[in-house]
Amino acid sequence: MDHHNRRMSARLGNRLVWWMLAWAAGVALGATWLGMQELRRQKDAFETDARIIHRLLSQRAVQHDAVLATLTLRAEDAAQADDAAWRRLGSVYPQITAVARYTDAAGWVSEATAAISPLAAQARLRDESLRLRQAVLADAALERGHYWVLQAVPGAAFALRIDARLMVPWADWPMPDQGRGSDVRVALRWQGSELVLQPGLDAPPRRMPTPSVTFGFSKSLAAQSQPFDVVVSGAANPWLFPWLKALAVAAAWGALLLGARAWLAQREARERAEALLRMGQIARLNTLGELAAGLAHELNQPLTAVLASTQAASRLLDDDPPDVQTARGAMQQAARQAQRAAEVLARLRTSIGRADPGAGEGVVDLAAAAGKVLYLLEPELGAAGVKAELVATPPSVQPRVRGDAVAVEQIVHNLLTNATQAIRASGVSPGRIVIELSTHAGQGVLRVTDNGPGIAPDLRERIFQPFFTTRGDGLGLGLSLCESLAAGMGGRLELEPAGLTRQGDLNGASFSLSLPLETRA
Amino acid sequence: MTASLSPLIHLIDDDEAVREALALLIGTVGLRVETWSQPEAFLRGFDRSAIGAIVLDVRMPGISGISVLETLMAQGVDQPVVMLTGHGTVELCRRAFKSGAAEFLEKPVDDELLLDTLQQMVRRHVKSRQRNQASRDARERHAQLSPREREVLGLITEGLTNKEIGKALGLSPRTVETHRANLFAKLQVASLAQLIRQYADLVDGHDPAAPAA
Repeated sequence: MDHHNRRMSARLGNRLVWWMLAWAAGVALGATWLGMQELRRQKDAFETDARIIHRLLSQRAVQHDAVLATLTLRAEDAAQADDAAWRRLGSVYPQITAVARYTDAAGWVSEATAAISPLAAQARLRDESLRLRQAVLADAALERGHYWVLQAVPGAAFALRIDARLMVPWADWPMPDQGRGSDVRVALRWQGSELVLQPGLDAPPRRMPTPSVTFGFSKSLAAQSQPFDVVVSGAANPWLFPWLKALAVAAAWGALLLGARAWLAQREARERAEALLRMGQIARLNTLGELAAGLAHELNQPLTAVLASTQAASRLLDDDPPDVQTARGAMQQAARQAQRAAEVLARLRTSIGRADPGAGEGVVDLAAAAGKVLYLLEPELGAAGVKAELVATPPSVQPRVRGDAVAVEQIVHNLLTNATQAIRASGVSPGRIVIELSTHAGQGVLRVTDNGPGIAPDLRERIFQPFFTTRGDGLGLGLSLCESLAAGMGGRLELEPAGLTRQGDLNGASFSLSLPLETRA
Repeated sequence: MTASLSPLIHLIDDDEAVREALALLIGTVGLRVETWSQPEAFLRGFDRSAIGAIVLDVRMPGISGISVLETLMAQGVDQPVVMLTGHGTVELCRRAFKSGAAEFLEKPVDDELLLDTLQQMVRRHVKSRQRNQASRDARERHAQLSPREREVLGLITEGLTNKEIGKALGLSPRTVETHRANLFAKLQVASLAQLIRQYADLVDGHDPAAPAA
């Protein structure tokens, strides 16, 4: 038995490992999916922000072109040139830190603090601008932080010095606080030089602990004169992984698996119990078969002798004259042989009582045994539409009896299946079975009552006989075996008299199993 | 015919009460009974020449009734064997008859059935003995014929006339007639039909009972 238990728990251990693996796999899948969802979300957010940044910067850049266009338009009316106007540009556009005007007559003129850069002052730039009829970039070394754009008309030109950093519209910026604290790096790049507008990851102290997925974006400003590339880069933030959702998934998956496991365990337990029952019945049948064969032979001899002796005596008495002496002897022999047959039967009765292995004699908690059988039969009761309940009278009583737990369970199992089949066959709906526990005169009593059709009065005496059955299938051995099982444990299995059921509205059959109560030493 | 004149029934069963009761019953119709508790003792000790029958229980400790039956058949015992059993199956019955049993009865056995059967068996035994004896005598007589006489016998049994026989063997019809008369005398038959019935098998070595030469 111990070896069997050890092997069972080894198998169960394996089973547990598989369940845990299944749970882990499910959780991993769920987490991966959730992670990928989050990653996509972050990527989309990043790209949206990058496009916004690009648009904002482009808008500013385009403003510069517009300003230059306006200025050059007005310059054609050289006579109405209002000097003061173009000097005031700086206050309207903070990024325009210097303005310069060119006229053929005077050359380049600008504020004293912001002279035009020599690079920008080149005539070829003006020519280019005239040719293209648009503003052109002049002297853009971005890492300095500023650059010049100029636009020329015949005879005149205007140039603006743009401070790129002041160009950034922080108020509309997607990141708060002027980009401080953001992971995203924003830079303008042009011909090998780069101006960082927002440092992002590079700025200490926010260094990511692990290498992670990076996002990138690069698009040139939508201003023809300032085709700088806006380069936005960022990285996925693993801290944003949806831990709560993942936990929920793990919990739900775990609960599902636990439910499945419990259902499987119940089914397995039931199948095992039924297999045990069947094996027990087969073993008993085998024993019965052998007993029957031996019985046939042992009874045949004395019966042959009885028949031959009495028939011989009859013939002897028919003789003329009748041989009374010999006939008398023959009859005496017949009587002796009949007694011999009786002894054979007596021995049989005791050997059947002993033929039951009756492995365990112990203490049985009737409520636990009944509960276990109810649990095992749950699916079948449900399928038959039968509702079973376990009650105790009085409710506090918990009868503990002396007997073999397996035998008690088998008896209860048999009574319940008989009741279920009777209910099913008669079509009573809803079917009800009540198992009532009580004590009476030193015995623990377990009574099974159903609301089926009951036992017909003329059959009441015969139902415990072996091979008697009212069912098409079945050997009719169940009740007789249960009765002998009960007797073997020093108890009784009886059919309650009709009309005396203790469960008010249940008027089917009622069987009671009584076993001696355990007496505490 | 030796030993005793009234038929003897041998009864082999391991149960004493059964032996006694059946012996008493069989005795009521005037048959003699000898009972045996062990088949080995029976095989060693029973008189094979006596007229009678054998009643044999199937299920005995040690040696089974069927194997005793097979031994009896192998030894050429000609007493009919009645098998008796407490639990007859078709298989058992089949085996018993195939092995040469004359009858198969179930215990507890009805007296009329048993006694009628035994009386039938005895009659059958007597008849078979007589037949065997007759054929043994015929063989002896046949063996004492001269070669020429055997030739003539062969042609007679084929239905040839004296003239035809004479022609076939190169003898005169009168010689054939002489041989014919001698044959009838030596073989102790009264008519041609009897001659043919009793001796046709022995002609030309067709004798089924003769041992292989």
